[in-house]
Amino acid sequence: MTDDLEPLRQSRPDRLLPDDPPDPEILVLQKARLMTAIGGATAAAEHRRNFSLYPRLAYRDEVAALDFLTRAFGLVEQREARMEHPDGMLAWLEIADGVVMIGRAGSEHHGLLSPLDAGAPTAMVNVYVHDIDAHYHRAESAGAQIVMPLEDMFWGDRRYEALDLEGHRWHFAERLSEIRARSES
Amino acid sequence: MDVSDGAVIADSLERPAAFGAIFDRHGSSLFRFLARRVHPSEAEDLLGDVFRIAFERRSAFERDRDSARPWLYGIAANVVAKHYRSEARRLRAMARVSAERAVDDDPAERAVAAADAGARWTRVVDAIGALPAAERQVLLLFAWEELSYDEIALALGIPVGTVRSRLSRGRARLGALTAGPGATTHSAAHSVRSGR
Repeated sequence: MTDDLEPLRQSRPDRLLPDDPPDPEILVLQKARLMTAIGGATAAAEHRRNFSLYPRLAYRDEVAALDFLTRAFGLVEQREARMEHPDGMLAWLEIADGVVMIGRAGSEHHGLLSPLDAGAPTAMVNVYVHDIDAHYHRAESAGAQIVMPLEDMFWGDRRYEALDLEGHRWHFAERLSEIRARSES
Repeated sequence: MDVSDGAVIADSLERPAAFGAIFDRHGSSLFRFLARRVHPSEAEDLLGDVFRIAFERRSAFERDRDSARPWLYGIAANVVAKHYRSEARRLRAMARVSAERAVDDDPAERAVAAADAGARWTRVVDAIGALPAAERQVLLLFAWEELSYDEIALALGIPVGTVRSRLSRGRARLGALTAGPGATTHSAAHSVRSGR
């Protein structure tokens, strides 16, 4: 491309004023409205509440991370919320009633580091899941690095810990009382 | 992407809910396009309009096409064209931002260069607003959205040759409008009066 359009390219509003992408809730809401308008509304398309608190994890390769987290850990992407951009994709992943946001690591991305760059994880995501044993086997066979074995703990959880592709640490657990209730029913 | 947009849209003729996948695939790109052109709060409503219009016209979409994106951009471009006042407001707000930003965020030794850059961005933003609508549409789809000539032709329903000629006229006009303070005033006035 010739250079005479460079000033025009640079004057794109989101380059003049680099900003976080818009709230994904906008997309969720507009999709729900569309589905209502076309008569295909389903429970899944209902307006979801905003989460008051959710973490954002940074990855060198956020696309690979998305694939891994859905495949190995069973997180489900809010697909309509995804923001694709040449400088990095943002995605929101849900499991049960929790959500985690993932994006690219780097100084231009809120200065967040991947554990690959930091040398160690500096936080851990805790998740309660249904059927922890099945979850464990799925994660292990998908190549997650298990760093704490699956075992019953004195505080009433059955849990394990695993690292994802870039070394973020995840703690998965299920209440022992729920496991017992399930086996009795 | 395993199933083409064409196949999804063909499927949605029988099963309307299938059209939701088109929103999943392109909603965020289209939202960003709209938010660059009008105020983000208006972009939200326009996004809904774009997909409802697309849904109503889906039988016209050629089912052997892989991507619905150019077609959706075309619908969105028309929706923006109907909101030209909002677009003009967006450009004025951007011109202010580009001027202020250059003044406050640079250390002293770069202040002069920054002020120059600020003035240049302001001229570019003003010039975008001064372009004839047809040329602005093509130039922005090309430079901001990075669509190819073919995609722009498809989006706007015009021949590729017309895309090329509008792009080259728009480029020349933009160059003249942003050349410098003297040239700007003169050619801007000329361009507006000529009404092209």
